[in-house]
Amino acid sequence: MNTEEQPLLAAVELHKAYGATPALAGASLAIRAGEVVAVMGPSGSGKSTLLHCLAGIVPPDAGTVRYRDRELSAMSDAERSALRRSEFGFVFQFGQLVPELTCLENVALPLRLSGIRRREAERRAADWLARLEVGDVAGKRPGEVSGGQGQRVAVARALVTAPRVVFADEPTGALDSLAGEQVMRLLTAAAREAGAAVMLVTHEPRVAAYADREVVVRDGRTRETVLADR
Amino acid sequence: MSRHRATGWVADLALGARLVFAGGRNGLLRTLMTAVAVGLGVALLLTSTSVSTMLDGRSERNAARDDQFLGAAQPPPGERTLLVTASDTVYRDEVIRGRLLQPDGAHPPVPPGLTRLPGPGELVVSPALADLLHSPDGALLRPRLDHPIVGTIADEGLSGPNEYAYYLGTARLRAGGGTLRIDHFGSTPSGEGLDPVLTLLVLIIFVVLLLPIAVFVAAAVRFGGEARDRRLAALRLVGADAVTTRRVAAGEALVGALLGLLAGAAFFLLGRQLVELVTLEGISVFAGDVRPHPALAALIVLAVPAVAVAVAQLALRRIVVEPLGVVRRSGSRRRRLWWRLALPVVGAALLAPLHGGIDQTGGPVNQARVITGVTLLLIGVTALLPWLVEAVVGRLRGGSVSWQLAIRRLQLDSESSARMVSGVAVAVAGGIALQMLFAGVQGVYVRNTGQDVSRAQTMVLIRDDLPGVDADSLAERFRAVPGVEGAVGVLDTAVSPVGSVPDEYGQRPGTLLRIANCAALRELATPDRCVDGDVFQIIDEQSPDPAGLPAPGQAVEVGFRHPETTTRWTVPTSLRAVPGRTDPAGNQFAGLLATPGALDPATLRGVGARVYLSMDLSRPDTIELVRNAAAEFGPAAEVQTLRATEEASRFAQIRRGLYVGVLATLLLLGASLLVGILEQLRERRRSLAVLVAFGTRRGTLSASVFWQTAVPVLLGLALAIVLGTTLGGILLTLVRQPVRLDWPSIASMSGIAGGVVLLVTVGSLPVLWRLLRPSGLRTE
Repeated sequence: MNTEEQPLLAAVELHKAYGATPALAGASLAIRAGEVVAVMGPSGSGKSTLLHCLAGIVPPDAGTVRYRDRELSAMSDAERSALRRSEFGFVFQFGQLVPELTCLENVALPLRLSGIRRREAERRAADWLARLEVGDVAGKRPGEVSGGQGQRVAVARALVTAPRVVFADEPTGALDSLAGEQVMRLLTAAAREAGAAVMLVTHEPRVAAYADREVVVRDGRTRETVLADR
Repeated sequence: MSRHRATGWVADLALGARLVFAGGRNGLLRTLMTAVAVGLGVALLLTSTSVSTMLDGRSERNAARDDQFLGAAQPPPGERTLLVTASDTVYRDEVIRGRLLQPDGAHPPVPPGLTRLPGPGELVVSPALADLLHSPDGALLRPRLDHPIVGTIADEGLSGPNEYAYYLGTARLRAGGGTLRIDHFGSTPSGEGLDPVLTLLVLIIFVVLLLPIAVFVAAAVRFGGEARDRRLAALRLVGADAVTTRRVAAGEALVGALLGLLAGAAFFLLGRQLVELVTLEGISVFAGDVRPHPALAALIVLAVPAVAVAVAQLALRRIVVEPLGVVRRSGSRRRRLWWRLALPVVGAALLAPLHGGIDQTGGPVNQARVITGVTLLLIGVTALLPWLVEAVVGRLRGGSVSWQLAIRRLQLDSESSARMVSGVAVAVAGGIALQMLFAGVQGVYVRNTGQDVSRAQTMVLIRDDLPGVDADSLAERFRAVPGVEGAVGVLDTAVSPVGSVPDEYGQRPGTLLRIANCAALRELATPDRCVDGDVFQIIDEQSPDPAGLPAPGQAVEVGFRHPETTTRWTVPTSLRAVPGRTDPAGNQFAGLLATPGALDPATLRGVGARVYLSMDLSRPDTIELVRNAAAEFGPAAEVQTLRATEEASRFAQIRRGLYVGVLATLLLLGASLLVGILEQLRERRRSLAVLVAFGTRRGTLSASVFWQTAVPVLLGLALAIVLGTTLGGILLTLVRQPVRLDWPSIASMSGIAGGVVLLVTVGSLPVLWRLLRPSGLRTE
């Protein structure tokens, strides 16, 4: 069997509740390498929880998540942290950049956490900032740049470790449409160029249009999968 | 002010108050933390204003039970008189106050706390002593007080709730020596003041202990500052002007301060109930004695809200609250150094004219000047620290991820960290200054006792009750105690020439007589030769009347003070004069020394004895066993631990007070640091959760929190050492002592502060780890 056809990341029958409130009630999803998948749904439908479970941030109450040939729930917290450091990248809606670090230091941070020396980490970070057209804000703190610039810095940080999967949770939610378009264009282009899969949580069809396919989450279930013809 | 404007003020303040409670669970938690932190400070302030009532209560009760009217004329025996002997003992380093009581008649005075006198052999004890005697810990004490307990001493008869005290009824007392005849208990509390140097110490202790608490309260009312700034920005968005936001901020601060006052009152009342459970340095306090001074309590109630509002307004000067958020001015505007330096300089200038003006015999201390000068010097620490932290962390670069996260955080906002640490820095600076002063004046208050601990470490003193024993068998009884390595016994009595005439006070002339073997006598004199049967006389410069010594061949009465103990003896003609030698307890005798061959102790009655013991000090039970062995000779037997030096009791009390105060202050500051760190962590939980999401290790973030606290603390300690030693040097010149850096004090104070910080960081880790759970991502 061709490995390219094997899902890189697969969730099966995930259940998750926060107290008495169910967030996932049997959600399943598979992502193949290099694929861009948009997860859509109304607020509170369980999109972000599905992303957190797939990324190994939150353990599901029931169901399995497999990344390549490893089951995430069987891994220790330290192993899952290491996986997130080396194999996954993250972009969130807001509050994701460490406010006290400069943009360059923010992008270099995941590399430094993986043990790469500061000079080398910052060199690679500068490259990614330039690719995402925010090289000029390298020395500024997140509070000193615009929302769009901040999201592009976050994208650079997500991609700087050459992850196999990028998790993006409402990456354009806090941006105007022009800035949002720019971020999505750069995110998907850079991910495709790097061969990374992208799991994109959004409720905006315009953002979902950048994906190869769309999955709709409603009441904690992945109700339908729409294959998009891109 | 027009009515409309006044209404507007009230409305703005009320809005601020409402906003405190409108922040949901997080807002309430922040308010609670502020209230708890301010409350801790208020409680400690209230406690410090209660110190004088606490001391007065102890001193009044001590005076009311006083029975040692030494030097005063004693009443003749009668229906209403009583013989009393102090029989204090020590158990496990705790003093046990003891009194032997023997009524002369049917209506003797009764000490406070007792309803009647105990009968012969009956014991009345304090509740704490009763508990100790009944507990396994009191096992070695029980043989010493092996009498039926017939009652308990009530509170009015005790200096504190945990005091160990007893009254033992007896029928064996005779007036004279340490036994006094009294017709009442109680004396006027001594109103004797402190000398100027001790006054200076007390003043500085109060400043040093109270200033960190004030700094702490000022820091506590700023908890939740970032959330408050966001609320104010939201108000600006809906149209509030800058003045209104200031009033709203004042309203918020007032609520925090008022809740803090309430919490403080609650903590104080709670602590008051618990205070009886605590004994520090042998001192315990009755809850009823802990009463704040009314005027000072009123000052606290007014000052805390005023400080809260002032601090909130000052904080607002450093930011611009705009409708779309808050801009901090601190990033662009560097802190000015000149006025920060001016504070300690003015403080030093105020103290400088007092140079050499304070000594033990001098006039009163200019208290206002001293307090202002010391306060300004110490406030200099809080003023200079933010500048120092900003200046230093601004230059730091590189390092590990945890170091980088911490330093960058400090570079972005060094003020809140400096604010949190400044209380610790002030306490350390003050502590160092005080320790230097203590070390400097120690020589004045610590005297050499003259005791020679290389020859003996303990002396047992048995008063005139021994019937015909010899000194060797007496020493042997103590030598049998496990841990006693050597014992030398000497019998004590006095002689008077037969037929001598009493003086105008009814006293016959007397000469001390010691009886022991040659080896033991060599502890008291240095005869060139000695064999059993020898008799010596010691004549030295301290002997007031060498001519009064009995002559060789003269008939004398031994134990002449009581007819029933009097025995006749003739001083041998072989009597030789020998040089005296100071005994291990530091005493020099003048009188007669006799070996048992010259005077058989078995023929004597009512002699006393002293036994010098060398013992293994590493065995704590040995001294208790020695005390028990001594108690077999009667409760009035005294066991003295010999020491080369002795501190003046008031100096020792003040030093003890300092340690107790520093301990309480450091605990409070530790609590303040912990609350501050937790508050900062809560503010950053979103950021922390994101860091965890992309795989940051717990250890990295824990180390980052540590560095973020440790760097300002280290800078604070460095500043505290500089200003503390400066202040210490100035204080030493005030009391005319040479300026010397007391490195052990500096190291110990800095070490304690460092330990507190480490403890606080460790204490914050569970909360940090809880915040590092990925659920933090869900807050949006």
